[in-house]
Amino acid sequence: MLEGVPVNTFDLDVVHSREPGNIDRLLVALESLDATYRMSPELKPAASHLACSGHQLLITRWGPLDILGSIGRSRRYHDLLPHASEVEVGHGLRVQVLNLETLIAVKEEVAGEKDLAVLPTMRRTLEEQRRRR
Amino acid sequence: MGPDRQFTTKETHSEDGVDLTLIRWMLSLTPAERLDLLQGFVDSVLEIRARNREA
Repeated sequence: MLEGVPVNTFDLDVVHSREPGNIDRLLVALESLDATYRMSPELKPAASHLACSGHQLLITRWGPLDILGSIGRSRRYHDLLPHASEVEVGHGLRVQVLNLETLIAVKEEVAGEKDLAVLPTMRRTLEEQRRRR
Repeated sequence: MGPDRQFTTKETHSEDGVDLTLIRWMLSLTPAERLDLLQGFVDSVLEIRARNREA
């Protein structure tokens, strides 16, 4: 949605740096959000979970949050960073957002039913973005 | 046509049925405005829910 695709999802996806210092900071943030696993609400994410490449599907007091060690064909935070740009999302908060071209490539790699359904809208949005440049 | 095809300004839908007017409108907003829009939807639902409770 931040890239202009008129599609909403109900969760927030974050690909995180798996460096030890960042995992420590992320754990503090997740604790403050009361994050637990969506399928096992009694279980909280631990450093060992965040250090792996898997997907941590969490629920917080603000809603669903997916913390992703990698996406697509093993694309990690540092692989994705060159394909992201800083975006102002309001109240002075700036976040790194993956560009639409790379997001489409990742969706094509995964090719899940949900991803395939949204791909035509993403591709047309990318075309329109390019036309405006 | 390939992914790099150009739209004419008159087109309202792509060949695969995507609403291009919606895309153009979304691209006319800043990222923060897009989030405000989403928040507006949420606020509307909450307001309707609250009014139904009052009724």
